[in-house]
Amino acid sequence: MEALKLSSQPFKILIHLASSKSNPIATVVTRTSYSSSSSPSRRHIVLRCCTTTAATPKVPGRNRRSSSTSATPSSTSDRARVSFTEFPVDELKNKGLEPYAYKWDRTHNANQLQDIYRHLQNGEESKNESDYVSIAGRIVARRAFGKLAFLTLRDDSGTIQASHGSSHMALTYMLFGTAMTMAKEARSPDLYCEKERLMNDQFEQLKTLVDIGDILGASGSIKRTEKGELSVCVDSFSVLTKSLLPLPDKYHGLTDVDKRYRQRYVDMIANPEIADIFRMRAKIVSEIRKTVESIGYVEVETPVLQGAAGGAEARPFITHHNSLGRDLYLRIATELHLKRMLVGGFEKVYEIGRIFRNEGISTRHNPEFTTIEMYEAYSDYESMMNMAEEIVTRCALAVHGKLSINYQGVEICLERPWRRESMHNLVKEATGINFIEFGNDLKAAKEVTLATLADNQQKHSIEACPSVGQLLNEVFEIAVEPKLIQPTFVLDYPIEISPLAKPHRRHAGLTERFELFICGRELANAFSELTDPSDQRRRLEEQVRQHNEKRVAAESREKGKETDNSYEVTLDEDFLTALEYGMPPASGMGLGIDRLVMLITDSASIRDVIAFPVLKIQQ
Amino acid sequence: MEGSIEQQSGPVSDRPVDTSSAPTTPAEPEGLSKNARKKELKNKQKEEERRRKEEEKEKSAAMTKSQVQKPLVADDDDIDPTQYFENRLKALAAQKTAGENPYPHKFFVSMAVAEYAEKYGALESGQHLEDVEISLAGRIMSKRSSSSKLFFYDLHGDGAKVQVMADARHAVMDEAEFSRFHSGVKRGDIVGIVGFPGKSKRGELSVFPKSCIVLSHCLHMMPRQKVVPGSDNTTKKETRYRQRYLDLMLNVDIQQIFKTRAKIVSYIRRFLDRLDFLEVETPMMNMIAGGAAARPFVTHHNELNMKLYMRIAPELYLKELVVGGLNRVYEIGKQFRNEGVDLTHNPEFTTCEFYMAFADYNDLMDITEKMLSSMVKELTGGYKVEYHASGYQNEPIEIDFTPPFRRIDMIEELERIANLSIPKDLSGDEANKYLADACVRFDVKCPPPQTTARLLDKLVGHFLEETCLNPTFIINHPEIMSPLAKWHRSKPSLTERFELFVNKHELCNAYTELNDPVVQRQRFADQLKDRQSGDDEAMALDETFCTSLEYGLPPTGGWGMGIDRLTMVLTDSLNIKEVLLFPYMKPVDEPPTKGTW
Repeated sequence: MEALKLSSQPFKILIHLASSKSNPIATVVTRTSYSSSSSPSRRHIVLRCCTTTAATPKVPGRNRRSSSTSATPSSTSDRARVSFTEFPVDELKNKGLEPYAYKWDRTHNANQLQDIYRHLQNGEESKNESDYVSIAGRIVARRAFGKLAFLTLRDDSGTIQASHGSSHMALTYMLFGTAMTMAKEARSPDLYCEKERLMNDQFEQLKTLVDIGDILGASGSIKRTEKGELSVCVDSFSVLTKSLLPLPDKYHGLTDVDKRYRQRYVDMIANPEIADIFRMRAKIVSEIRKTVESIGYVEVETPVLQGAAGGAEARPFITHHNSLGRDLYLRIATELHLKRMLVGGFEKVYEIGRIFRNEGISTRHNPEFTTIEMYEAYSDYESMMNMAEEIVTRCALAVHGKLSINYQGVEICLERPWRRESMHNLVKEATGINFIEFGNDLKAAKEVTLATLADNQQKHSIEACPSVGQLLNEVFEIAVEPKLIQPTFVLDYPIEISPLAKPHRRHAGLTERFELFICGRELANAFSELTDPSDQRRRLEEQVRQHNEKRVAAESREKGKETDNSYEVTLDEDFLTALEYGMPPASGMGLGIDRLVMLITDSASIRDVIAFPVLKIQQ
Repeated sequence: MEGSIEQQSGPVSDRPVDTSSAPTTPAEPEGLSKNARKKELKNKQKEEERRRKEEEKEKSAAMTKSQVQKPLVADDDDIDPTQYFENRLKALAAQKTAGENPYPHKFFVSMAVAEYAEKYGALESGQHLEDVEISLAGRIMSKRSSSSKLFFYDLHGDGAKVQVMADARHAVMDEAEFSRFHSGVKRGDIVGIVGFPGKSKRGELSVFPKSCIVLSHCLHMMPRQKVVPGSDNTTKKETRYRQRYLDLMLNVDIQQIFKTRAKIVSYIRRFLDRLDFLEVETPMMNMIAGGAAARPFVTHHNELNMKLYMRIAPELYLKELVVGGLNRVYEIGKQFRNEGVDLTHNPEFTTCEFYMAFADYNDLMDITEKMLSSMVKELTGGYKVEYHASGYQNEPIEIDFTPPFRRIDMIEELERIANLSIPKDLSGDEANKYLADACVRFDVKCPPPQTTARLLDKLVGHFLEETCLNPTFIINHPEIMSPLAKWHRSKPSLTERFELFVNKHELCNAYTELNDPVVQRQRFADQLKDRQSGDDEAMALDETFCTSLEYGLPPTGGWGMGIDRLTMVLTDSLNIKEVLLFPYMKPVDEPPTKGTW
């Protein structure tokens, strides 16, 4: 709002213009017109009729709209139509009108108007000078009858309503000389335009030069119709940006999923609820920040470009610095640098940032994704479990206002506390196999596993496990993971698969580590951090050795071909040196923000929560 | 503070050695006195200065003592670093063999060191609260002992510190065990302490441990010498950046820089959130590196067999979101430019960009003034900051953020100051020749290609930017320099653009966004011409972006600011590396140095 105040000067002029022209409204016409736009769903139907029927052949621009909106909205090439569409721009210019305005002073958005004029009675018009409002948005529907026209504008004043994920604010303005209605349910005012209320030939311009898809600014007075809809009776308007391409049809258009992601802006214009996902995403990230900062965490930024990519096991992206003639890796985790901060004396640090992994794309994987990693000195993995509960529940409450949420048809209950169970017990519960009994006897463990798991599709991967710990994890992934629908902390992972976690204080061979699962997906990964530099060096060396073994094996299998493991893993010596200077006992957690947003916004694919996901090269 | 207790209770024999070897403040190492002076000038706090002096005294005192009392404390600081490391490893191995865990999993901390200092700072001298039990943890940054029954430590935690006065009389251990434990504790170790609060007779806030435990061990000799910003020693400066954790341990001021940085970022977020802006994230890897003129990093996606560029600016994606209906968006994030490294450039750096529908560049100048002045006020208490623009050894300049900021019209002002009369048609050969001649005349270097845009840029750098110490908007850049800015509503061939300069460096860049797709395509075509004439930093055409404009971008103001450079100004840092935790460094051949800086 401050910004609006900054530039209120020009608007005053507008008000004068408007008030000098405030003729009495033709109420009869108003009433009839309102009745044709009562519910949001009907409005959309009317919209389509309108664009086709209103298509009079006298203006080239109109022809182009009607044919395009009704026929082939999105799948044909956008470019093909531009040659047509430059006509309305020229037409505007010929009339001395600017098709690309410099600015527009908005006084209100739809949401604010709904709020301010909540108490306006049906049929009442507010006539104070202070009730002249100025609004702007994209025209999403338009109907014109003789001396009367209705326009529906959409602005972005959508706020995330508790329990309604998709409540966008469509502003319906009725350009008529002067008016706008808001359908109650959608809270979306209409523009209501009467010929008599508009200056000079503005009404003619409206009918001939203004079309769906254009961005329009309008000002006028506020009225609630007899049907109870808030509307703006327009005194003056201005085309702010002329659209050259037809908007895709919400119901028939944009079935091309690929195009939805490639041209996210088209997707968002056609489906305003898409924008809500990104509003919720912003809200979630902001809630996470608030949560951790309220207990003293400091936000830091660590490098993306690194000499060695550590902190996780993943194939990194490689790039090259020209002037220094050196290859660099894109980070695959922020862990090792954040731990250096603990060594340096920070006690609570976090980073929300982009991570890059050179891996395939899927509904759950994008090559770049966002995580929060956080580290706290003098705490252990128990306290991180509380932290994970705190973060996720606060985000759910911020967006939905409740802790019971729906994900893809499944009811998820986020009431605390969440189940905490060791990996051993979960595997035992699901398969009956008690891995503790095997000790280090890999052979016995494999025999029992193969005999127990009825479905032997995973036979190969089971036999390939080089240790009991890895086998346990394999069985966990096969038999338990998909069943962890309600929030569950899986505790105490085998040491073989947890190179950065501290050995368990009571159970040999295990680590103090947990992963949080919701809806069968890993959402967070945390441990009591390993602080012993000798132990850390041994484990990282082992990791490098195993990777190289796999790499050699894979390369000899598929000679000369790129395999999943054909990248180098190196020791981060500087990190080990940092540990030798002493890192306080600490716990750390990484939480995937994209997955959290998927869960809370009920999105099936990671591409729905990333504005511009990576896609295959277009054919 | 710390030294005081010692003066009181320590053996008298220490004092003469202490004073002779401990330089008094004026004779401090050069780097430090600079820093001390800078600090004093900045904060005008005598208190701060006093603490620093005492810290220095105490440090040398500790050093002296370790020499004098070697037999007693068994401090082996003067042995070879490698030997030291080996010895400590052996000690740990011995502990492990004995079945002890040298790295405990958890130590309960009842309060942070800073909180402790605040809570008990008001105790009377000599007062002990023996009934209160508190537990603190932190790193020992100095160790002194006066007998086998009395040890002093400085405990540092999260930027604060407190004295630990370990007296065998308070300890739960018996005397022999107490003595053995404390002689084993090394400078740099991280310890947990359970004890009670109190103040020494000299008024030094202390904690009196009943029990102590080592939580993590410093296996290397902790460096003694501080290296501070502004120090001339290049190797040491390099080590500071390479081993930032050591830098942070040894210089509390450095932690403060990064806390200020976090506050700046958080302030910007709050400011924009209050204006109903939405924080979004756009890709850092693109098929086309657009939105700015710079050489990008190239990488490769294996499975998709796809060449990707690291982003050089988020601009085009953010405008696409405005087309999509998000009227106010911002992104704070990393940008990557494949360029050399210098005092104000790092290959990866952080910017904030925001886009505001229905606003123009006039609105954005108001917002910029408001944001920066209120931020400076909140962080420093006033509108003016001191900045050692010409080195810490010289007097600082004062940068005044009091709004409104000066506004100068680029071409008009250039013509006035340099007494030029630049041809109105800047795209023609005549203008190019005129400016090339002007550069020669004023001895302004412009390496080829001498495009009109580059020539102008050099002249503006020479004549205008040099005058911009206080925040100054240079406005109305020519179209040829600004391919994404909208043509000026009344001045032909210019655009509605501004750059904000502070201390002669560009801090913000903003404009009324060009939203006419036909003109935008034309501008990209012109850029292509520049590219063909050898300017490899000219912008590339982004087809998806141009198509989005055809769907209609509302009138929009767009704005970008360099967070690193702003942090430099507000933390009085002269090198961008000072405000980056892990700045880009050339690789070293040998492994990181250990304890030898």
